[in-house]
Amino acid sequence: MTPTAIISIVTFLPLAGGIILLALPRGAENAVRRWALFVTVLEFFAAAHIAFMPGHHFSMSGWAMEENYAWISTPAIRYHVVLDGISLWLVILTAFLTPLCVLISWRSVHDRVKEFFFLLLVLETALTGVFVAFDLFLFYFFWEATLIPMALLIGMYGHGRRIYASVKFFLYTAVASVFMLVAILWLYAHTGSFDFTVIQPWLRSHPEVAAGNAGLWLFLGFFIAFAVKVPIFPLHTWLPDAHVEAPTAGSVLLAGVLLKMGTYGLLRFCVGLFPEAARAQAGWINVLAIIGIIYGALVAMVQPSLKKLVAYSSVSHLGFVVLGIFTFTAAGTAGAVYQMLNHGVSTGALFILVGMLYERRHTFEISEFGGLASRMPVYAAFFVFITLSSIGLPLLNGFVGEFLVLSGAFRDRAIYGILGASGVIWSACYMLWMVQRVFYGENRNPANALLPDASAREKLTLWPLSAMALIMGVAPMIWLSSINPPVEQILKNVAPASHMAYVAGGQK
Amino acid sequence: MHLGLFIAFAVICVAGAISLVAQRHPINSALSLIVVMGSLAVLYLLLGAEFVAAIQLIVYAGAIMVLFVFVIMLLNAGAEERTRGSRVAMALGVPGLIVVAGVLMYTLAGHTAAGQDQLAIGATYGPPVAIGRSLFREFLLPFEVTSILILIAIMGAVLLARYHAAPAPETRAIDPDEAGDLLQLAGTHGSAAGARERRRAEHRMREREVTR
Amino acid sequence: MPGFHRGDYLLALPMMLLTLFALGVLLIDLLLDRSSKVINAWAAFAGLAFSAAAVHNIQRAFADQAARGEPSSPFFAFSGTLMVDRFAVFFFYLFLAAAAITILMSVRYLEVEDEHHGEYYALILFSVVGMMCMAAGNDLILLFIGLELMAVSTYILVGFLRRDRRSNEAALKYLLLGAFSSGIFAYGLSLLYGLAGSTNLQQISMALGNAMAPGKARVVPAVALVTTAAGLFFKIAAVPFHQWAPDAYEGAPTSITGFMSVAGKASAWALLLRIFLFALGPMRPLYVPILVFVAIATMTGGNLAALTQSNVKRLFAYSSIAHVGYIMLGLIAGTAFLPNPDGIRGILVYLLVYTFMNLGVFGVIASLRRRDIIGDELDDLNGLFFKAPTEAVLMLTFLLSLAGIPPLAGFYGKYFIFLALIESGHYALATLAVIYVAVSAYYYLRVANAMFMRTAGDRVPVTISPGMWAGLAITGAATVVIGIYPEPFLRMVNWSMHVAQNPTVAQLLR
Repeated sequence: MTPTAIISIVTFLPLAGGIILLALPRGAENAVRRWALFVTVLEFFAAAHIAFMPGHHFSMSGWAMEENYAWISTPAIRYHVVLDGISLWLVILTAFLTPLCVLISWRSVHDRVKEFFFLLLVLETALTGVFVAFDLFLFYFFWEATLIPMALLIGMYGHGRRIYASVKFFLYTAVASVFMLVAILWLYAHTGSFDFTVIQPWLRSHPEVAAGNAGLWLFLGFFIAFAVKVPIFPLHTWLPDAHVEAPTAGSVLLAGVLLKMGTYGLLRFCVGLFPEAARAQAGWINVLAIIGIIYGALVAMVQPSLKKLVAYSSVSHLGFVVLGIFTFTAAGTAGAVYQMLNHGVSTGALFILVGMLYERRHTFEISEFGGLASRMPVYAAFFVFITLSSIGLPLLNGFVGEFLVLSGAFRDRAIYGILGASGVIWSACYMLWMVQRVFYGENRNPANALLPDASAREKLTLWPLSAMALIMGVAPMIWLSSINPPVEQILKNVAPASHMAYVAGGQK
Repeated sequence: MHLGLFIAFAVICVAGAISLVAQRHPINSALSLIVVMGSLAVLYLLLGAEFVAAIQLIVYAGAIMVLFVFVIMLLNAGAEERTRGSRVAMALGVPGLIVVAGVLMYTLAGHTAAGQDQLAIGATYGPPVAIGRSLFREFLLPFEVTSILILIAIMGAVLLARYHAAPAPETRAIDPDEAGDLLQLAGTHGSAAGARERRRAEHRMREREVTR
Repeated sequence: MPGFHRGDYLLALPMMLLTLFALGVLLIDLLLDRSSKVINAWAAFAGLAFSAAAVHNIQRAFADQAARGEPSSPFFAFSGTLMVDRFAVFFFYLFLAAAAITILMSVRYLEVEDEHHGEYYALILFSVVGMMCMAAGNDLILLFIGLELMAVSTYILVGFLRRDRRSNEAALKYLLLGAFSSGIFAYGLSLLYGLAGSTNLQQISMALGNAMAPGKARVVPAVALVTTAAGLFFKIAAVPFHQWAPDAYEGAPTSITGFMSVAGKASAWALLLRIFLFALGPMRPLYVPILVFVAIATMTGGNLAALTQSNVKRLFAYSSIAHVGYIMLGLIAGTAFLPNPDGIRGILVYLLVYTFMNLGVFGVIASLRRRDIIGDELDDLNGLFFKAPTEAVLMLTFLLSLAGIPPLAGFYGKYFIFLALIESGHYALATLAVIYVAVSAYYYLRVANAMFMRTAGDRVPVTISPGMWAGLAITGAATVVIGIYPEPFLRMVNWSMHVAQNPTVAQLLR
C-alpha cells in the first residue's frame, strides 16, 4: 500500500463501513450504533493522522498529496484526488464532526436506526469526496451525491415540515448546481479535460477566455451553485427550513460541513479558476456578504426558536467567510478558511446543544425555557462556553477567524471592515440575549423543573468540541501554517502585487 | 382526351368525398364512398396503373364496401346528430381544410411549372408482371413482413372481440345505477329511437365518470 | 436479376427466428391450460435468446471485417431493402433486451389481471420484428411496414385488458391517432418517393441533394419534410403531437407501458435517425429550426404537465415526453455542423440508459398491482419504503437516474447531449435544458417523498414474483453499473457509430 492511497481510504472508509452496517441484522440496533461509532472514530484517526504523516509538507506550497487514475476514457474523466492545506482541514473537520453526530443520535434516533447511520456514513464519504476531488467531473459527482443522503435524512428523520424542507433543500441546490454543470461542460468542450490541474493552466494561457465574457459567465455558473450552498444573502431561504426541520445530526453536518462546500468551492474553483472575473465581481459579492452578516444577525435576534436563531447565525457567520475570500488579502482569505473550521466546530456544537435540549423538552421555543442554569449547571457551562466561542471572544477560536477576516477587509476597503465588525457586535447581542433568556432569570415553566443534566454520553460529545474551540483559539498556527501556502498560491493569480506584501499580517 | 377524363373523374372523386362527409345517414355516406373508390380506380387506370386500378375496384369498391354496408345495416345506425362540437369542427375545419388544400395545390402547381421532367398521363404502364416481379424480388421482405402485419391485425381483432366468460374483476364492479343503464342499453337496442336512447344513456354514463 | 443468397437470410435471421417463435407461442398456447401459461413466457424468452444469438452472428461478421482490416461497411440484403450496419445491431440488442425484461416483468402482472394469454408474448415478439425493420430498413416501404407492425402490435397490447374501460379507451384513442399520424407520415413518404423516383434511402438523399441545390424551388421538399417529420414526431410523442401518450400509457397494462416507453420509443428514434440523417440529410438547414422549436415545446410541455399529475403512469408518460425533448437536443447538436458525433452518441447513450431506468420504474409500478389495488396512483406508493424497502430503494435509484443525478446511468445520457450542445455553441438551449432537468427533479422527488417520507395507507406486504425480481435486478444493476463504470457501454455505443456506408452519414457520424 503506497502512502498516497490514504486519500482514497479516508474517502471511502465510511462508505465501506456503511455497506457492512447494512449487513447487520435488523434488530441489532445497539450493534449498529456501536459499529457506526467505531467506523467514524476510525475515520477520524485516519484523517487526522494525515496532518502528521511524515514526508508530506502541508506547510509548503503545491499539492501535498494526490492520487490520479484514469476512470472513464471517452469523456476523459479521471479519478484525481488531492489534499492540500485547505482540503486537509475540511476533511478532518468532517471526520471530527461525524462521530459526534453518531453520539448525539444514539438515543434520539430510535426508528429505522440502520438506515439512519447508513445515510450518515454515505454522507460522510460524499462530503469528504467533495473536498478532495480535483477532477471537475468527480467534484460534481460528489457534490450531487451529498444531496441525496442529506435530503433523506431531513425528510425521513426530521421534524414537522420535514418533507417541505427536504424538497426545498434538494431543489435549491439541484437547480443551482446545473449551472455549474453547464460551466464544467463548457470547460471540457474547450480543454478536453475535466482535470483542475489541466484547466487552470489552460485558462492562464488563454487570458482572452478567462478575462473575457466567457470567463465571466463561467464564473457566474460556478458562483451561483456555490452561493446557494453557502448561502449568500438573497439565496439563503432554504437554510432556516432545512436546519429547523433536520434531525440534530443532520443540522450539525449541514451547518458544520455542507455549507463549507459552498465556501470551499468559491475559493477553490471560482477564485482559483477565474481570478480576473472574481476580482471584477468582488464588489457586489462583498456587499452581499456584508448584507448577509448584518441581515442574518438581525433576523437571528428576533427568532422565537432556538434552532432558527442558530440557523440564522450561520447566515451571518458565513457572510464573514465570503467577505474574507473576496477581499483577496492573505489575511482575509486565510481567515476565511479558518473561519470555516471555526464555524464547523462552534455552530456544530450549538446545534448539538440545542438538540440535547430538544431531546428533553421536544421544543425549540426560547419562551418555553428559563433559569436552566440552576437545573443543568454542566450543560449550561458548555453552552455558555460555546456561545462565547461563537461570538468571537479572544482566546477562543471564533476570535482568530473573525479578526483575520476583518483585518483583511479593512485592508481591502475600510467600510467593509467597519460594517463587518458591526456584525461581531450584533452576534454578541443575540447570542448573549438568548443565553440570558434560556439559562438565567426565573424558571416559570414547571416542565423545566425536572430536566436532567448532561449525561456521560453527552459530555463525551461536548468535551472534544469545547477542547477544540479552546485549542483553535490559543494555537491557530497549527492550522494556519498549512492553510497559508495554498491560499497564497490562489491569491498569486488574483491579487495585484501590493496585496502580496501583506502576507505576514495573517500570521499573528 | 386523357387530361379531360382525368379532370372529370378527379372532380367526381372530390365531389364524392365531400358528399361522404356531408351526408347524415351512414348508408348515403357509404354509397358516396363507392363513388370515390370507383373514380379513384379510373384515375389509376388513366395514370397507367392498370393493376392497381383493378385491385382498387375488386378490394375497395367490392369487398370492403360490402363489409361497410353490411355493418351499417347490422348496427341499424340512424342519422347522425349535429352537436355543438360538430358545428365548431365544421366552422373551424372547413376553412382550415380549404387553406391547407390551397397551399398544397399552389405549391405543387408551382413546382411542376419550374420545368421539371414531366410525364404525359398514360405514358407508362404498370403491368401485373412488373408488379409481381418487384413484389417478389425487390420488395420481398416488405411483402413478407406485411403478411405478419395482417396476421397480427386478424389476431388482434379476434383477441379483443372474443367472448369472455370469466366474471368482471372486482376492481371494476358495476354499480346498480350503471347496470340499469346497461340493461336499458340492451333492451332498446334495435331501432332508430333505441339508438338515440342508447346514446343518451352513454352520455349519462360519461357524465358520471367525469364527476367521479 | 439474381436470386437471394444465404447472406440475405442470415441478415434477416433475427427477425425470422422471432416470427417463428411467435407463431410457435400462438400454437402451443392452444395446448396449455390456464395454470401453465407461463410456458408461453419461457418460449418467448427462448425466441429472444435465439434471435440475440443470430444478432451476435452478424456482430461477429463485423468483427471479421475489422480483423481483415477492411473499413466497416454495412451488409445489404433483399435487394438493398435491408441494411444491417452496426447502428442497427446496437438497436437490435436494445430491443431484445427491452422485450426480455418486459416479459420477465409481465408474467405475474398478467396473472393478477386474469388476462394471461399467449398472444401477449407473441405480440411482443412481433412488435420486436417491426422494430428491427425500422432500425435496419433501407427502404421507405420496409420502414413503413415495420413501423405499422410495431404500432399495430402495440395498439392491441395497450387494449389487452379487455375488461378495463381505461385500457379499451386508451387502445382506441391510440389506434385512431396512430392511424391518423401514419397517414400523414405515408403522405410525406409518398412525396419523397415522388421527388426521388425511388424508395431507397440513398437515392432519396441524392435526389434531395439535387433538389436542395441553390436556386431551386424548395417548396415540395419542404412539404415532404414537414409531413414526414410530423408523422415521426407523433411516434416519438413530441409536443404538439403527444396527446395520445398520457392516455395510452395510463390505460395500457403497466408492463406494456414500460415496453412502449422504451422499446417503442427507441425504435421510433431509430427510424427518425435513419430518415433524418440518411434520407433527409441534405435538408439539414431546413429541419434544424423545426427541431429546435419542437424540442423546446416538448421539454416545456412534458415537464410542466408532469408537475401536476397524481397518477404515476401519467406522470411518467409526461416525463418520457420531456426526455424526448432532451434527446431531440442531441439531434440538433449532432446535425448542427458536420464533425460533431457527440450529439448522435448522446442519443444512443440516452436511449440505452433510458431503456433500463424507465423499464425499472414501470416494473416497480407493475409489482404494486394486486387483487384490489391498481397501484398506479401516487398515493399507492405512500410509505413503500416501510413495506418493501428494496423496491423503494430501487425506485429511488431509477428516479434519481431519470433526474440525471450522477453517479447513475441517466446522467451520462444528459451529459453527452449537453456537451454536444455546448460544443456546437447552443448555449441558450443547453441552459434551458438544464433548467428543465432541475424542474424535472421536482416531480421525481414527489414520487420519492411519497415512498420515503409518508406513511403507508395499509400494511399489506408487497409480494414480488421471481421474474419481477430478475427484471428489477437487471434494470437496477444496469442503472448503477452504467453510472459508476460506463466504459464498456460507451465503447459499445462508439462501436455502433462506425457507420461508413453513406458519404454524408459518414461525415456526419465520423
